[in-house]
Amino acid sequence: MFQTVAIVVFLVTFIGIAVHWVLTPAGGPRCPGTGAIHVFSLLLIEQRASLLGALKKLCYLLAMVCFLVLAITGFWPTLVRGEHISGFLMYIHATFAPIFALCLAILALTWAGSNRFVASDCPWLQRLLRRVTRLRLPADDRPWRCSLAIYKLAFWAILFLALPLILSIVVSMFHLLGTDWQHLTLALHRWTSLVFAVAVIIHTYLAIRLRMTSQA
Amino acid sequence: MITNRGDGSRAPAVHRIPLYAEALFGEKREQITAETDPALPFSPKGTCSECHVYKHDYDIINKGWHFNSTDPNIVPGRPGQPWVYVDAATGTQIPLSYRAWPGTFRPDQVGLSAFQFTQRFGRHMPGGGPGEIETQIDDEIPRQMISGNLEINCLACHNRHPAQDQAEFAANVAKQNFRWAATASSEIASVSGSAEKMPDTFDPAMPDTVTDPELIPQVPKVTYHQGIFDHKDNVFFDVSGSVPADRCYFCHSEINVTEHGTQKWEADQDVHMTSGMTCTDCHREGLEHNTIRGYEGEVNPNALATKTTCKGCHLGDEKGRPEGGRLGAPVPKHLGIPAVHFERLTCTACHSGPWPADTTYQVKTAQAHALGTHNVNKEPNALPHILYPVFAKESEAAVDPNEPPLRGPRIGPNKLIWPSYWGTRAEDGTVKPVELAGVTEVVGAALKGLVPARLGDWAELKEEQVGQALKALADAGQTKPVYVTGGMLYQLKEDGSLASEKNHPAAAAYVWPVAHSVRPAAQSLGVGKCTVCHATRSPFFFGKVAVDSPIVAVSNLTRPQYEFQKAKHARTWVFAMSFIFRPWFKIITIGSSAVIGIVLLLYGLKALGAVARVLSEQEQR
Repeated sequence: MFQTVAIVVFLVTFIGIAVHWVLTPAGGPRCPGTGAIHVFSLLLIEQRASLLGALKKLCYLLAMVCFLVLAITGFWPTLVRGEHISGFLMYIHATFAPIFALCLAILALTWAGSNRFVASDCPWLQRLLRRVTRLRLPADDRPWRCSLAIYKLAFWAILFLALPLILSIVVSMFHLLGTDWQHLTLALHRWTSLVFAVAVIIHTYLAIRLRMTSQA
Repeated sequence: MITNRGDGSRAPAVHRIPLYAEALFGEKREQITAETDPALPFSPKGTCSECHVYKHDYDIINKGWHFNSTDPNIVPGRPGQPWVYVDAATGTQIPLSYRAWPGTFRPDQVGLSAFQFTQRFGRHMPGGGPGEIETQIDDEIPRQMISGNLEINCLACHNRHPAQDQAEFAANVAKQNFRWAATASSEIASVSGSAEKMPDTFDPAMPDTVTDPELIPQVPKVTYHQGIFDHKDNVFFDVSGSVPADRCYFCHSEINVTEHGTQKWEADQDVHMTSGMTCTDCHREGLEHNTIRGYEGEVNPNALATKTTCKGCHLGDEKGRPEGGRLGAPVPKHLGIPAVHFERLTCTACHSGPWPADTTYQVKTAQAHALGTHNVNKEPNALPHILYPVFAKESEAAVDPNEPPLRGPRIGPNKLIWPSYWGTRAEDGTVKPVELAGVTEVVGAALKGLVPARLGDWAELKEEQVGQALKALADAGQTKPVYVTGGMLYQLKEDGSLASEKNHPAAAAYVWPVAHSVRPAAQSLGVGKCTVCHATRSPFFFGKVAVDSPIVAVSNLTRPQYEFQKAKHARTWVFAMSFIFRPWFKIITIGSSAVIGIVLLLYGLKALGAVARVLSEQEQR
C-alpha cells in the first residue's frame, strides 16, 4: 500500500510543480539550458554573504545533500524493488541521518526568525477575521504572496515533521518499545518520511522560485 | 468398537489385554498364554490392533511421521537430523536419510539395503518404516524370514512402565531379533539368543530343530515373567496416549560434550521441560500419528500444526481470536528489538541451543551416537562429529514443491556435519558415493593400519594416503574416484598426483535446524546489548565454525559463521562496526530533536502570544 501511495504522491507533487512552473512564470531565463545554470548558481555562496550567512548556506546545502541521499536510499528499495531497506543502503541511510538531523537543528535555529508568519502572509485571513470578529486588526493591503506563505508553511511543516521522523527511529533503539510499537514506529517513520519529503520538495521549489522572482 | 478415537475422557484407558503372536503366512494370529510352548514373542501389531481395529489403524499409523520416512510420497519437510554411517577405518562419516533432504544420501545410494539399515540404525527407531520393507535381495530373504519385520513398537513410546527398556530393544535389533525386539524391551518378558547367528534354514516356529550344541544357546527364546498373565490370560500394560518424556529422550537426547562432557546433570534442560511441560504438549498427534514438528510453514494434516509453533503459542494470531499464551506461554514484549529481527531471524536464533562462543561446540545425539544403548562409546570425541550452533540461512527453496515458500528465508541455529566419503565424479561434476561395502574392502585395505588417536575418533589421514586410496579405487574400476571431506574434494590428476578443490557442492556441510534446548528468556541473545551480535568479534557473525576431517590439514581450518548466512564479510563487518557509533547517533539525533522541539515550542508560544495580544486589545476597547 505504501508503495502505491508514495508513488502517486510523488507523481502528483512533481506534476503539480511542473504545472505551476509553466502556468506562473517567475522571470529569469526562459531557455531551459540557461535556466538550469541559473538554478545551479543559486547553490553557490554569494560573495557578499557574511560568515554566518555563508555557514547557513553551507548548512542548507549539506542538509540538501543529506536529504537527497536519505530519500534515495530510503525510497529506492521500497518504491522500486518493493523491499525494506537493508545492506549498504541502510548503512548509508543511517550514516547520513544524524548529519541531516544536526543540519536541520541548525537551520531551525537560524531560519526560524525569518520564517515567522506576518500579517502580510495572509491578508485574506485578516480581512476575514476583521469581518467576523470585528477585532482591530492592522490592515495590510500589500498583495498577497502565496508562494511566500506556502514557503514558510513548508518550513514549519518540515520542522514539525522532523520530530516524529527522527524520534520514531531513535526511540526504537532503546529498550522501551515492544514489537507492536516497533512496527508502529516503523510505519510512522515511513509515512512521515513521505509527507516530509513532499514538504522539502515544495520548500526547495519555492525557495528557488522566490529567489528567481527577487532577482528578476 | 474400540479405536484410538477417544470419547473425550481425559482419564487413561486401562490396558489389560491378551497378547497375540505375529500372523505368519496368512494364518490366524495365535494368542499367547502362560502355557504357550515354545513361548512366542508378542506382536505389537497383532496385540494392539486387536482393539485398535486390526490392520485399518495400523495402516494409518504407519503413515505417521515416525514411520513414513521410506514413503516417497511424503513431503520431507524441513531438513532434520540424518542417520550417520561412520567408519573411522576408511575416513567415512556420511549423512543418510530416506527423506529427500538435500545433502543427505538415501541408504541404497551407498549400498545399504533396508534390512542392513534397520539392523544398524533400528536401535533408535520405534519400528516400522525400513523395518517393514520386504527385501528383494536373494541373500537377505532367508535372513528376513528368520528375523521377521521390525514392526511398529507401540510400547517404545506409549509404555509408561519404568521397566520399558529401549536399550534392550536396541541390543535385539543389532542381533537381527527384529520380531523379538518389542517383547525383549517390555517389562513382561526377557529374550535371549541371536537370529543373526542362526543358519538360513532356521525356523523360528520350531526352535527345537537346532541341534548344534554351540548354536542352541543362541536360539532366540522368550521367557515371560511369572505372574504377568491373569486368570483370563490377559496382561496389564501401563500404556497411555500421553507419552512420557523419558520415552522420547531415548531417541531425542543430546549433550554438549564441549561444555559438559557426557555428564547430563551438568547440562540444563530445555526451559519448557523445566517449567513442567512435556514433549507431547507441543509435539502432538492423533491416531494418524502426524506428529507436529513445530516449525512455521510445516506441511502437516494435523489440524494443530499451524498454531503449534513458537509463534503460535507465544504470540498467537494477532488478528483473529487470541491464541497467544497457550499452555501458559509467556507472551514476550521484545522490548527494543527492531521489527526487522523477526523477518530475518527464526525465534530459535536468539532462544535456542547453547550460547554461541568463538568456536562451535561439539554435540552428541542419541540417534547419531547410539546414546543410551549397551556398551556405547562414552568418549566425547566419538564419531560422528556434530557441531553447533551454526547460524545459517534457511535454504532459499522449499524442499518440496508442495510446501509453501519459506518465510524469509531466515537465519537460525543449526547443527552441522561435514560429510567425509569416497565417491566418483561424473562428467557433469556431480559426485556419487561409492557403495560402502566396496569402500570397506578397497579403501580399508589401502588404509590398513590406521590407528585412531582416541577410541571412536578419527584416525589421522595423510594426503598421501588419500592418494593411495584413490588409486586403489581407480584400480578397482571406479572412474574418477574422489574423496570428500571437511568441505574439500580430493581427486587424482592426470599425472597421478593429488588435487584438492574447495567449496565443491558435494563437499558442502549438511546442516539442520536446532530447535531445542530453549534457553530461558533472560538468556536469549539481544536481551542485554545489541553488541552481543552486532560487534566485529561477535560469535553470531564472526564466530568460527570448526571443520571436521580425518585429514589434519583440513580439520585445522575454520569457516566464519557469516559464510553460512550467505553474507559478505565487508558488509557484515561494516554493519557491526557501525554499532560503535550508535551512541553518537542517538546523542546527535536526540540533541537535534530537542533543539528543533524547543524552536517549535518557542515560536509556537510566540504565535500564541501574538494571538493573545490581539484578543486582549479587543477587550480593552
